[in-house]
Amino acid sequence: MTNLEQAGAWLAGHGLAGVEPTPLLAARLAVRRRARLAGDVLLAVFLCGVALAYISDLPHGEGPVRRGPLLALTAMVVALVLAQSLLDRWVRRADRRAAATLPRRAAHPVRLGWRTLLGRPRAALTLATFAGAAALAVRGLTEEVAGARFAAVILLIGLAGVATSMAVQLRHVLTHPTVADDEASLTADVAMRVEDARAVATPSVVWCLPVVSVFSTTAGWWNAAWLVFTVLGVAALALISARTAGTGTVARHATNAPSAG
Amino acid sequence: MIVIDAASPVPPFEQLRAQLARQIHDRTLAVGTRLPTIRRLAADLGLAVNTVGRAYRELEEAGLIETRGAAGSYVSAAGEQARERAGRAAAEYAAVIASIGLDTDEAIRIVRAALTGGTAVSPSA
Repeated sequence: MTNLEQAGAWLAGHGLAGVEPTPLLAARLAVRRRARLAGDVLLAVFLCGVALAYISDLPHGEGPVRRGPLLALTAMVVALVLAQSLLDRWVRRADRRAAATLPRRAAHPVRLGWRTLLGRPRAALTLATFAGAAALAVRGLTEEVAGARFAAVILLIGLAGVATSMAVQLRHVLTHPTVADDEASLTADVAMRVEDARAVATPSVVWCLPVVSVFSTTAGWWNAAWLVFTVLGVAALALISARTAGTGTVARHATNAPSAG
Repeated sequence: MIVIDAASPVPPFEQLRAQLARQIHDRTLAVGTRLPTIRRLAADLGLAVNTVGRAYRELEEAGLIETRGAAGSYVSAAGEQARERAGRAAAEYAAVIASIGLDTDEAIRIVRAALTGGTAVSPSA
C-alpha cells in the first residue's frame, strides 16, 4: 500500500472519507507513523530497562536500596525524554518542510487548546492514573515485605520518566503549528493532532510498569491494589473511548465552530 | 478559518486583518473569544511575527480586539456596544418619523443622506 493509499484509508477511518488524500498529507502521516513506531520501541526499551534495574537487585532485595541500578534507571529516564524530544523535532521539521511548499496557508482564528484536542475525560483519566500510581508506589515505600521498597523506588523513577516524556510530547502536540491550505486539509490537520494527543495521553505504560516489578513482590494487598487499579483504568479508558466523539467528528466541529477553542 | 494567499496582490497583514474583522462583525468570533498569540498565528500561517502584530494592532485601534497583557488578545465588547447604541438611536429615530408622519422611504433617504454627508432628495423633486 502506497503512502497516498494509506492516507486515504486513514481519512476514511476517521470519518473524513470526503477529504481527498494529498501527497502532503500522505508524507506527514508517513513521518508520524515512523515516529510513533520509534516512540513505542523507545518505551518498550525503557520498560525492559526498568525490569533489568529491578532484577539486578533481586538477591539483595531485603537490605538497603542499592544506588547503582537507580542511577542507571535515572540515566535511562533522561535518555528517554531526550530521544522523545528528538523524535518530536523530526516530525516538526517534516511538517515545516511540507508547509513551505504551500502557496497559501489556512489556520483557525482561535487557539485549539487541550480541551479540544485531548478532551477533559481523557485528561482527567491520565492525571488520575499518574496520581493513583504515584500514591500506590509511595505507599509501597512503607512496606516491610522483601523487595517491596525497592520495587516502589523503581516504580517512582519509572513513573517520573514516563510523565516527563508524556509532558514533552503533549507540549509538542498542543503547540505544533498548523499545516493546511484549505478547509479540508485544516480538518485533516486537526484530526491528526487529536489522534496524536489521544495516543500520547493514553497511560498504557503506567499500567505496564507494575508488571515488571511489583507483581514479583510478596506483598499480597499491594499486588491486588495494582491489579484493581489497572483493570479500573483500562475499563475507564474503554468507556471514554466509547462515549466520546471520534477524531473526525472533533476535527469537523473544531473547524466549523471556531469559537469553541 | 483564515486563509492567507501568498500570490494575492493584497498584503498578508491586510488579508489577515480583513478576515478577522469580518469574522468579528458577522459574529463568527464571539465577544470574549481568545485569539491565538501573535507568534502562534504567525507560525500557523507561515507569516512574519511583525505582519501578524501589525494586523492585531490595527484591529485593536479599530476597537475590535483588546490585548490584556500576557493573557493574550480577545474579541472586544466595544463593537457589540456600538451596535447596541446604533440600534437604540435607530429606534428613537423611527419613533420620531412615526410621530411626524413621514413614510419609510423618505426616512431611509434622510438617513442615507446623513450617513453619506449629502442632502436628502425628495422623490417629488
